[in-house]
Amino acid sequence: MGKKKVRIFILALIPALVLVFLAVQAFQHSAAYYYTISEAKSLGSSAQKLRIKGQVLKDTVRYDPAIPLAEFTLTDRQAQIGVVYEGVLPDNFHHAQEVIVEGTFDSRGQFSVSKLMLQCPSKYEGEE
Amino acid sequence: MRWVGLISLYISCFSALAVLAAAARRTVARPEKVRQLNLLSILSTLLSTLALVLSFLGSDFRLAYVARHSARHLPAIHKVSALWAGQSGSLLLWLLIISLYSLAVQRSRLLRKGGFDLRVNAVIGAVRVLFLVLLLLISSPFELNTEPPYTGAGLNPMLQSLGMVVHPPLLFAGFSGFLVPFALAAASLWQDDASAWWLDLARPWALVGWAFLTAGIVTGGQWAYSELGWGGYWAWDPVENASLLPWLSGTALVHALLPGLQAKGRRWWSYVLAALTFALTIFGTFLTRSGVLDSVHAFSGGALGTVFVVALAGIIICSAALAWRRRHCLREPEADGGQASAFLPGALQAGRALLLLLAAVVFVGTLFPLLSRALTGREIALDASFFNQMTIPLFLPLLFLLGWAPLLAGGRAEPVLLRSAWLPLVGAFGAGLLVQGRLGGGLGPALAAGTAVFGLATHLPALLPGKTGRFRPGAALAHIGVLIMLVGIMGSSVYTDSIYVSVDPGEELQFAGYTVRYTGLTVAYGADRYTVGATLVLSRGGREAGRLTSEKTFWENRTQPSTDVGIFSTPKEDIYFNLAGWQGQTAQLHLQRFALVSWIWFGSWVICAGVLAALLDKQVKVWHSRTL
Repeated sequence: MGKKKVRIFILALIPALVLVFLAVQAFQHSAAYYYTISEAKSLGSSAQKLRIKGQVLKDTVRYDPAIPLAEFTLTDRQAQIGVVYEGVLPDNFHHAQEVIVEGTFDSRGQFSVSKLMLQCPSKYEGEE
Repeated sequence: MRWVGLISLYISCFSALAVLAAAARRTVARPEKVRQLNLLSILSTLLSTLALVLSFLGSDFRLAYVARHSARHLPAIHKVSALWAGQSGSLLLWLLIISLYSLAVQRSRLLRKGGFDLRVNAVIGAVRVLFLVLLLLISSPFELNTEPPYTGAGLNPMLQSLGMVVHPPLLFAGFSGFLVPFALAAASLWQDDASAWWLDLARPWALVGWAFLTAGIVTGGQWAYSELGWGGYWAWDPVENASLLPWLSGTALVHALLPGLQAKGRRWWSYVLAALTFALTIFGTFLTRSGVLDSVHAFSGGALGTVFVVALAGIIICSAALAWRRRHCLREPEADGGQASAFLPGALQAGRALLLLLAAVVFVGTLFPLLSRALTGREIALDASFFNQMTIPLFLPLLFLLGWAPLLAGGRAEPVLLRSAWLPLVGAFGAGLLVQGRLGGGLGPALAAGTAVFGLATHLPALLPGKTGRFRPGAALAHIGVLIMLVGIMGSSVYTDSIYVSVDPGEELQFAGYTVRYTGLTVAYGADRYTVGATLVLSRGGREAGRLTSEKTFWENRTQPSTDVGIFSTPKEDIYFNLAGWQGQTAQLHLQRFALVSWIWFGSWVICAGVLAALLDKQVKVWHSRTL
């Protein structure tokens, strides 16, 4: 009986280790760290994926839908950061209260956004 | 109408409390009276919902909830569906659906034997009281506006679609369906019934809940695909994960309840899974309503989250305490042999382990921002790639295992098993090689194609007429539906194209084997909106294959426009067109191709057909027999 248990244990260990390995891999690939704007700026350049929350300064938005490429400045009242986003701005971008950008610093030290998320207080509720 | 709605909610609440008090006694005095009281509570809930529906149809903007979600000019169908566009209406709808299940329990002749339905409805009633208290005290749909506006804020255009008419009711029907197996289990333990009769009783309810939840999740994905405009149907968003979690544990529950299996620990697992699935439906609501996570599309927070987390703790503690007190009821009697195949219980155990692992991965991944904040002080979010990388290596073995189901259930011995499996295995290998060679895309799609072909090859014979094996056509159909969905998910996530172009009217371009001609922008005006649309003509080999229209609509009383995508769907692929912007008549088009998307929707229909076949199966008689 003892021998059988050991064998089952070893058999279960292999997939468990594979799973842990996969988890570490997947984590490194996907983890995005939340940073405030000033934290991110002091970081300067980093290969780590960051998520930054902030408000869009409306008059800084420059958008060329033909490429599509958008540049804008985010603020959290304490600091500001300019970001670039290569993609189509969603319909409700200009009215989102807060946006979350996910991305990395590129070689020129500019924050390049790979994912843009909007936070509307009640996206699926009617507008007041 | 407001008073009708509010008073009937109060009546419903007090009569439900009275039912609870009466059914909690050791012997229930005058069971018919208690049933009448329960019926009164159910009907009052119905009346209250009807009152709200009528307020919506009559555009009664004195009600704040109606004013927030409806408007005068809204089509009637969306005036009704606006009922579940917000939080309190959703709660009311959910309560109504739970109440209808409660009514079904009460009407079941089988369950009325010995007054068992009263105990079951007491458990369901406790949940109903929770919802009623929420609706009366925290999130009332009958709150008044101080100054009623002439017209309401209207329904978010994204919600004005068929998908959002059917998705929430189906989802709630799924969630509530899983309440019944839990209630049956809890009531049975409460009565100190050691016979485990509830396992057979719970099966049809679990199947119904599972089918509704499957349909609810898929219609949600279909809605996201056709309304949100980014071309996906699943983003591993917390809201989506919240519905997937009970689905995973519910799938394990449905298999734990399989009839005629003397699998080890069947009672214990069935109880744990029933409790877990029900708890996860509540957990999902807590997760998406409390605002603890930055979900991109959750409802706003409030006191509701706190109530749900307390309820969740209550459910876990009560069900654990009940299991401990009545642990002798969950102990298995000595096995009396009669196994179908030595492998079947093992395979079911492995499947359950994989499903629970999947649930654990999704759970941890979803809560990771919270966990990391608690542990390291910094929030870390995991995106879709984490979930994909973690779940695909679990889903594929699970679905490969599923392919063995008909062979294992056949009760054949080992050598026969291998003999009947080799042909499907060869087919699977061939399909994998073919996909790899012809389409490429790496190991993932080859494995997925092999898994699907293997499963289809083993399952299709079970559908032949005149089969009287242990493996029933219903189960076969449901499994086939899952495999069809696998093919669709594989195709649409691996074989995709995407281009972003600026075109002038009359210009043609080549995309995914089609010649695409842009004809120009059209503008249409409505009462409160104007719509800019672009139509593309798709042709192949000189013949027109179809037309695609994508529109942006600007609303008078809304700051943001809404976009309708154009989808040209064939069994082989979908061409997905999004009008991204324009200057003059020059339009920016975002064109995407997703292979095999429609297989996902079709597969879900097959699953539901399978569940229906299982419920109607005369040979198994899920509804009426005591022993199977």
